[in-house]
Amino acid sequence: MKRFFVYLAAIGCITALSACGRVSSDSFTPPDGSLDKCTLRFSWWGGDDRHEATLAAIKLWEQEHPDITITPEYGGWDGWTEKVSSQISGGTAPDVMQINYDWLVSLSPDGDGFYDLGLLTDRLDLSVFDDEVLSFGRMNGKLNAVTVSVSGRGLFYNSDTFSRCGVAYPETWQELIALGSRMNENGCYPLDLDIQSGGTAWYLAVVYVQQQTGREFVTMDGGLGFTEDDIRMALDFYKELEVNHVIRTVRERSDDDGNSALYQSPSFIDGRVGGILEWGSSVGKYDMVLPEGVLEAGAFLHGDDGKEGGWMIKPSVLYAVSKDTEYPDEAAAFMDFMLSDPECAAVLGTSRGIPVSYRAEEALEASGLLSGIACDSDELLSELDTVTISPYMELPRVKELCNSAIEKISYGRSDTADAAKELYTSVEEYLKKVKK
Amino acid sequence: MKKRSYRNPVGVGKYTGLLLIMPFIIGSAVFTLYPFIASFVLGLTDSDGIHFPEFIGAENYAEMLTGSEFLGAVMVTLKYTFILVPLKLAVSLLAAVLLNAEIKGIGVYRTIFYIPSILGSSLAAVIMWQFLFTSGGLAEQVTSFFGLPPVGWYGSSGSAMAMIVLLRLWEFGSAMILFLNALKDIPAEYYEAARVDGCGRVRAFFRITLPLLGRVTFLNLVLQTIAAMQEFNAPYMITGGGPMKSTYTIGMLIYDEMFRYHNAGFANAVSWAFFVLVTAVVLVLFAVTRRRREEDE
Repeated sequence: MKRFFVYLAAIGCITALSACGRVSSDSFTPPDGSLDKCTLRFSWWGGDDRHEATLAAIKLWEQEHPDITITPEYGGWDGWTEKVSSQISGGTAPDVMQINYDWLVSLSPDGDGFYDLGLLTDRLDLSVFDDEVLSFGRMNGKLNAVTVSVSGRGLFYNSDTFSRCGVAYPETWQELIALGSRMNENGCYPLDLDIQSGGTAWYLAVVYVQQQTGREFVTMDGGLGFTEDDIRMALDFYKELEVNHVIRTVRERSDDDGNSALYQSPSFIDGRVGGILEWGSSVGKYDMVLPEGVLEAGAFLHGDDGKEGGWMIKPSVLYAVSKDTEYPDEAAAFMDFMLSDPECAAVLGTSRGIPVSYRAEEALEASGLLSGIACDSDELLSELDTVTISPYMELPRVKELCNSAIEKISYGRSDTADAAKELYTSVEEYLKKVKK
Repeated sequence: MKKRSYRNPVGVGKYTGLLLIMPFIIGSAVFTLYPFIASFVLGLTDSDGIHFPEFIGAENYAEMLTGSEFLGAVMVTLKYTFILVPLKLAVSLLAAVLLNAEIKGIGVYRTIFYIPSILGSSLAAVIMWQFLFTSGGLAEQVTSFFGLPPVGWYGSSGSAMAMIVLLRLWEFGSAMILFLNALKDIPAEYYEAARVDGCGRVRAFFRITLPLLGRVTFLNLVLQTIAAMQEFNAPYMITGGGPMKSTYTIGMLIYDEMFRYHNAGFANAVSWAFFVLVTAVVLVLFAVTRRRREEDE
């Protein structure tokens, strides 16, 4: 028996390493050109509006393809990255996945983490996308994912709250700051920023500094574009918003809403928080909890000096096929349906933002569905000189380091100079480690 | 001397016993021993959980001891354990003594007191707990009823920790059952003799009940300490580890490193350090209670 356990221990040591080396470029199932009877798993995250639209689209697919059934797997954003990355590392990933932009860097830096969609063009029509749009999903020369929509975070306001306070939506940073004290007299705040999974506090501070300096926080190749002074400027700007009651402090926000998402909190639903910073592709969940037409898109803020840049865009979501799928043809056909089928596009509407597929966009336009606050915001954004977000900026560790710095200055545990120095060093070190 | 032989009535051989327990051995080997060994090996690599890792020796352990994250999580975990465990033992003992009374319908009361232990571990209860303490929640309504100012439960380190301690304190059922069982074993004659000698209830509790519960108290202490040190669900769901990482336990650190940051090598190294820490704490408990336990025996 003793010898048995010794052998087992030895085997354990040897296989432990190989257990983490599952990824191999030649282990995928090649396409066979036919659509066979099968069941595909499709996973996505989002709010209720996206869930309802996607389930309706799946129903439409199953009516047209009764042999290929789809098992949906969906939920909210919190914890979703952890869930899917553990599925991928365990070899149990869904056949088709909605993925986030930074997953390409973290899960497929060599292009072998997802199925190479370049091999599936018989079923997946790529001619309906711009080359630039397709480049977002390319890793190491392999097409790992296709962008569903390109979107940026915009400002959306509760019109009831602003009317009650007798103020207009801001257009400049200075106007936003001035609103703090005026709306606070009525117990309201013009804006909400968070340091949780959204990380909107750091996002807005980055936009402000990018607009002022013209430098990007993190460059597309994963370098730190901001100087230590730029980071300090961002932290000072955030602190100014708190001091002027434009936003709640981190502590006030935690006490009010706990750990729950803003769109589920009484502060937002009751209108005490008058504004949000959100992706056009995700604003639907906020819109749904307020009376119809109450949430409106606001202007992208600029300085009194007329500088308008700095606002960011990125592929809001992408679709990828698992490299472990046994049904690549069927997965590609389903993905094509979700991306470009005119009927499906009409069902999905703008639940994932305005589609970048020409065919889907035309279908939406023809159906009169290219309207609503997400479209209003995207239209305003398209008039600006935007910055494409680096996927490295979206990495969870980078977000965590930035959120931590914001939390420290909000709680007064650190001044902005010390926090900037620490953040600069830690982000720079981490980015170097990731790119190694 | 002639070797005695036994006729085997059912025809089973020398290895039958081993064969019969093989399902357990295989299960333990595959699902416990293998991950245990694999975890140690992975802790010596730069594994991201997806790609083939490189051997980096004790680098993860060095990073763990020089960085602030691990040491911070250890301090939070120990603080949480040292607050929760004594409170839980006291509450469960008190409840057990009360429920040891011979009154009508006592079974119903015992069931009611045990229900939180079943509910408390469910996700729904944790989510419900979360909403009790937000602005306008039940906790705020209770404090305002007594004319007290509202407490910001989530924003300060102390109250955030208190929320989690309260949730777990509520689940005292399993410790209470062990105490209740031990209380049943104390002969009633001891109390009768003490009463005849003029001993009051409180004195009898400290002179008879507590000393005779020594062994089960130690068992509860060890079990509750191990469970508290492994805390993950409650801070993950309720506070997210905040504010300022004041409820960020080792369990959360391992989860984040493994699944959020794809730092599997480091996460496994932390798991092993955690294993050593739990073992050390339990050994300390054995050492400091050794004399008392020997007296009991």
